[in-house]
Amino acid sequence: MRLALYVTCLVDLMRPAVGFAALHLLEGAGCEVVVPPGQTCCGQPAWSAGNRDLARDLAKKAIAELESFDYVVIPSGSCAEHIRIAYPQLLADDADWSARAAAVAGRSYELSRFLDEVLPSCAVPGAFAGRVTYHDSCKGLRGLGIKAQPRALLGKVRGLTLTEMQDCEECCGFGGVFAVRFGEVSTAIVDRKCEAIAATGADAVVGGDLGCLLNIEGRLRRRGDLRTQVLHLAEVLAGPEPV
Amino acid sequence: MHSQAMFFQARAGVQVRNAGLQKTLKRVRPLFVAKRVKGVAGLVEDGIDVEELRGACEAIRRRVVDDLDVWLELFEARALASGAEVLWARDGDEVARLVVDIAQRHGVTKAVKSKSMLSEEALLNEALSAAGIRPVETDLGEYIVQLAGETPSHIIAPAVHKTIVEVEALFAEEHKRPKQERTSADIPAMAAEARAVLRQHFLSAEMGISGANFLIAESGSAALVTNEGNGRMVTTLPKVHVVITGIEKIVPTLEDFATLMRLLPRSATGQSISNYVSLLTGTRSADETEGPEKTVFILVDNGRAALAGSDFSDMLRCIRCGACMNHCPVYFSLGGHAYGWVYPGPMGSVLTPLYTGIENALDLPHASTGCNQCGSVCPVNIPLPALMHRLREVQNERGLRPWGERLALRAWGWVAGRPGLYRWMSRRAARYMRWLADDSGRIRIFGLAPGWSAGRDLTPPPGQTFHELYAARKRA
Repeated sequence: MRLALYVTCLVDLMRPAVGFAALHLLEGAGCEVVVPPGQTCCGQPAWSAGNRDLARDLAKKAIAELESFDYVVIPSGSCAEHIRIAYPQLLADDADWSARAAAVAGRSYELSRFLDEVLPSCAVPGAFAGRVTYHDSCKGLRGLGIKAQPRALLGKVRGLTLTEMQDCEECCGFGGVFAVRFGEVSTAIVDRKCEAIAATGADAVVGGDLGCLLNIEGRLRRRGDLRTQVLHLAEVLAGPEPV
Repeated sequence: MHSQAMFFQARAGVQVRNAGLQKTLKRVRPLFVAKRVKGVAGLVEDGIDVEELRGACEAIRRRVVDDLDVWLELFEARALASGAEVLWARDGDEVARLVVDIAQRHGVTKAVKSKSMLSEEALLNEALSAAGIRPVETDLGEYIVQLAGETPSHIIAPAVHKTIVEVEALFAEEHKRPKQERTSADIPAMAAEARAVLRQHFLSAEMGISGANFLIAESGSAALVTNEGNGRMVTTLPKVHVVITGIEKIVPTLEDFATLMRLLPRSATGQSISNYVSLLTGTRSADETEGPEKTVFILVDNGRAALAGSDFSDMLRCIRCGACMNHCPVYFSLGGHAYGWVYPGPMGSVLTPLYTGIENALDLPHASTGCNQCGSVCPVNIPLPALMHRLREVQNERGLRPWGERLALRAWGWVAGRPGLYRWMSRRAARYMRWLADDSGRIRIFGLAPGWSAGRDLTPPPGQTFHELYAARKRA
């Protein structure tokens, strides 16, 4: 099985460890993992801003890079949702691209769903001595139905106890550009998330989308919480691995 | 209502910093959510597939929206046959003119109103007052909001933003009595006090004005779904009853109405059925002792007809339950007034630009994290985030976005299309952010995104990008 790891622009820039954790998990399961060298961004920010032409151009670029693989694995519900759902819509009227978009969309998986569905017997090397709580990111949850998969995977991590927070399905207030454009509103929303996390007393909050995690971590730290770790699911599953 | 939607950003800031409002919203939000959960659980207990029911409700509303003209003509014919009058209004001004005209012809000096968001669209209370006719809101929340000289901040809980202390002050002044210490235990007594005052208004008003939750085409009836009983008073006691409603509120049959009623109250308040469900048909006949002598339907366009057959026709299915705002993280950080027009929350972020001009509400379609908590609870499956997204696209197509934003996006897109350049720039960015971190190891002030760093730290990257590290690892 030859698969492409689409690390996402945010992981590339802000937290490479998430990409290496995903790589470690997938290679550990015996997959031939390729990181397509030309990848930049899936184009969701352009789509989200309402710039259809630019979103289309970046979609075509990504499709051309990804279409030769059996699977595309993405450590982000948000980018995976964009590729799976928005790409076919963006290119539906384009005779040359609609079938290619649909093909890539059908083979693209958010990481936890891929591990759960395609590699159900994969090893989970990670260990975590303590309690974690899981934040369901919106696009993964409501766009792709990612809910049970990350929890099932966390259940395989040695030493880890999962404590659900109140309203774990509630948005963290990130929303990409939203968190910058409407910073104050976003802060009010993420405050509620921080309170819910604090109420669990968990040692770490875990999620599947780096955008949400940067938002949550940024607010926790500003509120003075230096204790609660903020971790991507891939990092917890893979365990500490030198980059 | 005069739209203030252009000032969303500023108004949102004010509301976010309003500690009293924030406390109220924080208390109320879980109640709204829990009520719907309970309402939907009731359906499941009855062995009803909720998704199937949502699909059925969607189908009923689709059928109407697809052939709106046909159903409107049928409704008009049946309503006329039952003795009602049917008038058509192109916009809010025309609604106000028609209502004032009816009032003057019948010598009306006071009109009692049950809740009608369309009358807010039409600035009806202002128009009536200007014509010397006193409008009295009789829904308890609307009554409070009217006393305060405000507008509703929620479509089904108009005074949700008011505290008991504020309400007590308003009641003491209006009811001409000394102010008292009040706690939530006093709410029934305060409601009774308002009821006693309103009772006199019901008995003395010559005109009743209501909205309609639905118009039933096959019977020519207005369906009214209420909890306080004021709707019954408004629609039966005064000699003239005016129903003001949007042209999209039609449902074909009573059977369809029954289907929609399985989800409307459950989505709104979690009730399996509201306290009162009224079907109002025609006028008082010779052998009846109750009901208005004259019933007038005013069917209002105000931007609705233009949505039929457009990219936004899904929005015409809306049955105004309020579930979208009850589940919106943005609404519950701001309350309704920040949205600047009649409809707040996700519903308003779509309706306000469509009904008042896309160029007059540029922020609203962006005032969403895209979380789709709204779409996932909508009883008629309106894809609210997709409609907000389409509005963003239309803003771009019409050149309505600020040039700085367009330029930045184009520059970013140009770079993202060139992997070599993109790599080079992201390496620079990773080092720059590393350098920005202070002694604590975090970025406290981030000039590129001040909106972010006003409320959050930023954990800096390690200084090298994934692709950089990956290439090095492959070489090793």
